[in-house]
Amino acid sequence: MNFWEKITGSDMTKEMKAFEARAKKLPADYQAAWGELNANLWSYSNFSGRNLMPIIDGVLGLLEESAADGQRVHEVLGDDIKGFCAALAGEEGAKSYRDKWREQLNQNVAKKLGK
Amino acid sequence: MARVKTLPQDYQIVYKEIQKYLFKVGPVELTEGNGLLSGIVDLFEEGAASGKGVLEVTGSDVAVFCDELIKDSKTYADIAQESANQAVNKAMKKLTDKK
Amino acid sequence: MENLTEMLKGVLEGSVLEIISRKETYGYEITRQLNALGFADVVEGTVYTILIRLEKNKLVEITKKPSELGPPRKFFAINDAGRDELRKFWEKWEFVSSKMNELKEKTQ
Repeated sequence: MNFWEKITGSDMTKEMKAFEARAKKLPADYQAAWGELNANLWSYSNFSGRNLMPIIDGVLGLLEESAADGQRVHEVLGDDIKGFCAALAGEEGAKSYRDKWREQLNQNVAKKLGK
Repeated sequence: MARVKTLPQDYQIVYKEIQKYLFKVGPVELTEGNGLLSGIVDLFEEGAASGKGVLEVTGSDVAVFCDELIKDSKTYADIAQESANQAVNKAMKKLTDKK
Repeated sequence: MENLTEMLKGVLEGSVLEIISRKETYGYEITRQLNALGFADVVEGTVYTILIRLEKNKLVEITKKPSELGPPRKFFAINDAGRDELRKFWEKWEFVSSKMNELKEKTQ
């Protein structure tokens, strides 16, 4: 039994397997980040696996889009993966992260539209 | 979403950035209900068809547009936090009941 | 007039509902009406986010109809709950605007 099976129960392993399959298609640096994100998110022991699934799904979507866009993974996640995960999970500091994401969104738009 | 690829370049750029932002914030409408993202594509298709630039449609502050869009929405993080708190409360109650 | 965004926040939802109450209509048309009224800063995206909220709060009925340009359009019509909400909105507005006038006259 692997780590996921232990904490999620078997109905969710299927979902995790699907996530892993998606993650394997990511570039190497993204895969490394994915591993770290995943481990961090599962550290919220108060959360049930069921609650984490949609959050993990979102993270994967983010990584897939950003990789397809040719962004460097560091640009997407910043230095503090732990803090990033805490924000995803709505832990303390989530508000200031959301402000950061807001800024990032507008900066990226401005940069890419060349305005 | 295949329809996104048929949008003008500026619309595609903003769509992608919005998508990334929403993936991070995680409103439940991303996976439930009437399709948050496909609604944005509808809006963009109509804007493009009428010859407008994307920022004329969203307004210059795209983040404000996104936040208005999900103003009343719960996020996955909210739900996870709530149920975590409930679990803690339950456990606390068990402890205090025992006494 | 421009730079009204902050001030309009509380009343835009009521304004959109009022426009819908007159005749079944869609997002771009509503935006154009608000622009024509003089709210130059209101964009389609703003109206769109309001329409989503009206839909979520079940204040409108929605029909999809084909359009010549682009995808099928969502048309919005007011329902009973919407009319009720609209009546409350105008009551609140009457109150606020009469008090604002009162305030202004007192200080002059």
